[in-house]
Amino acid sequence: MMKQYCVAILCMLIFSCKKKYEAPVPDARWDLFSSSTATVLTHNTRNKLEGVYSITDGTDVFGPSAALKWSYTANGRDTTYHLSMFCERQVVYVICEGKRLDSTILLNGYWRNVVNTETGLARFTLSKNSGVGYLLDSSNPDTIPAIVITGTFGTGDVPPDRPISLQYSRPLYRATPLEIVAHRGGGRTSDLLPASENTVEIIKMASRLGATGIEIDVRFTSDSVPVLYHDATINERLIQKNGMVGPIENYSYAQLNGLVRLIKGERIPTLREALDAVVYNTSLRYVWLDTKFTGSMQKERDLQVEYMQKAAAMGRNLNITIGIPDEDVLKNFLKLSGYQNIPSVVELTPQDVTTTNAKIWAPRWTLGLQNEEVERMHAAGRKAFVWTLDVPENINKYFLQGKFDGILSNYPSSVAYYYYAKQ
Amino acid sequence: MLNNKTLLFYFLLFLTCSKSFGQEDEVTSQTGRSKKYSLILYLSGGAGYFPSNAGAPGYLKPKLARINPVTTARIMWKPDHRLKAGFETGYMTFYSYQLTDANGNKGKVSLDAIPLLLEFSVSVKKHFNLFAGPGFYILKTKLNYAGSAESNKVSTGWMAAAAYTAPLSKEISIGAEAKWLYAAETIRGSFGLQLQASWKFLKW
Repeated sequence: MMKQYCVAILCMLIFSCKKKYEAPVPDARWDLFSSSTATVLTHNTRNKLEGVYSITDGTDVFGPSAALKWSYTANGRDTTYHLSMFCERQVVYVICEGKRLDSTILLNGYWRNVVNTETGLARFTLSKNSGVGYLLDSSNPDTIPAIVITGTFGTGDVPPDRPISLQYSRPLYRATPLEIVAHRGGGRTSDLLPASENTVEIIKMASRLGATGIEIDVRFTSDSVPVLYHDATINERLIQKNGMVGPIENYSYAQLNGLVRLIKGERIPTLREALDAVVYNTSLRYVWLDTKFTGSMQKERDLQVEYMQKAAAMGRNLNITIGIPDEDVLKNFLKLSGYQNIPSVVELTPQDVTTTNAKIWAPRWTLGLQNEEVERMHAAGRKAFVWTLDVPENINKYFLQGKFDGILSNYPSSVAYYYYAKQ
Repeated sequence: MLNNKTLLFYFLLFLTCSKSFGQEDEVTSQTGRSKKYSLILYLSGGAGYFPSNAGAPGYLKPKLARINPVTTARIMWKPDHRLKAGFETGYMTFYSYQLTDANGNKGKVSLDAIPLLLEFSVSVKKHFNLFAGPGFYILKTKLNYAGSAESNKVSTGWMAAAAYTAPLSKEISIGAEAKWLYAAETIRGSFGLQLQASWKFLKW
């Protein structure tokens, strides 16, 4: 009988190990791309490259179609442009930088499937007979020649060798504006993105992932510093374990800043640092401050005012709204002076939207399309955003049948594909 | 880390083994049904060893104290069959460490716990008992860095132990216990060695 116990203990030892899932960003160094004679692409060339493309080779990984769109990250006087390919296949994207080398355009980056750990290098070349003459020409002729992007992709850091080919189909859809709002600043830590959720680093990436806006979670430390953190407690889902447990509100900012590192090594940012990144490093036009605390909202309000003013001073049209997710937060919001003039996003009833004079009503997607209610919001000069839409079929359904002005998603690249590929 | 389903699986596996084991007369310390019942109090004290670095990250240059005190108290109901049931609690420190932050500032973190565990026990040899059970740990962080802070969190967990006790009288025994205390939040458990005294304080 002792054997039975030994077998049980052996089973525990064998099966107790937790598999660690990782999807590290591949090392995208490419000698040709780093060549000293390679130059950055002009604004005109970048614009001409944008569009909806049909994919011929590589459909098993990327699907039959992709929407190509540029975004930028500013860092002082330096600006880095990235071309994102939002693919039809769930949930695959490619992020590249572009350069011109003589009469050739090179695109160099990596691809990722967010629903698993698949990732790898992706390199593209546009040369003769692929429309490169049109793309590099500073003029804008009426007729667009056939633009063909050919390249290779691989797995991990291994040099790419599988062919991929994209052919230009049509321009990106932009007729009806849509706010693509990335959950938790750009995406969840559990999706193994290059940065942890609710960090400055993921906020800087959000546009590359397809977002035009972000939702971030605001909590207070024990010394009343507003910081970004989603969960109610410090836990191993979000931080590297260090012996600290319990609510984030039990620790001071100095303690969290000095001792806590998020999964990818980042510090927990203050709300000020996050909004700084939005204003000075990104082209994002919308921020949803998801209020995860109860108590005075004055500090959140003060930062909202300060950063909307900073953005306006830069000529940016940045809209920052205070989130009202529940009745407790609503009560605290109504204590703010002049609350009816404070931009807010209300997840509660249409009556609460009226009471607060919110700019945005944000119902949960499981409540359905609610077209009549959304139209009433539009008639009252308000917008309606839906959360949290992740399944491609649902995203497409809300595009085809719904009237929402914004979609909050963990997969902004999927939303971006269905939006820009709309006909 | 074990998730709750895995924990449940192991717990059921343990009970299955215990049940089949407990039905075999030749290896038990108690044969036949006596129609006697009793409550036994176990008091244990000793040290726990935390075998992992997982809770003390390298960027804090930790000086880890792996060996820490573990004190537990347990009450078991001993019926006239071999599977006993009871409850265990106590106070323990999973680990503590001295830290140095990026600016050279010093501090200390301690992760303590109060276990609240449902327990089952079976005798496998004369005076030799196995214990195991699921439950909760009230984890407590004591932080001394840039001021002090304390914070609690409830974690699921379990324990398993093997104890040998030698009787001093009909009611009192002394012995030793080796045990594994595991709280899901700590990633790894703590291996404890304790001296133990037991007192059969109620019989009927």
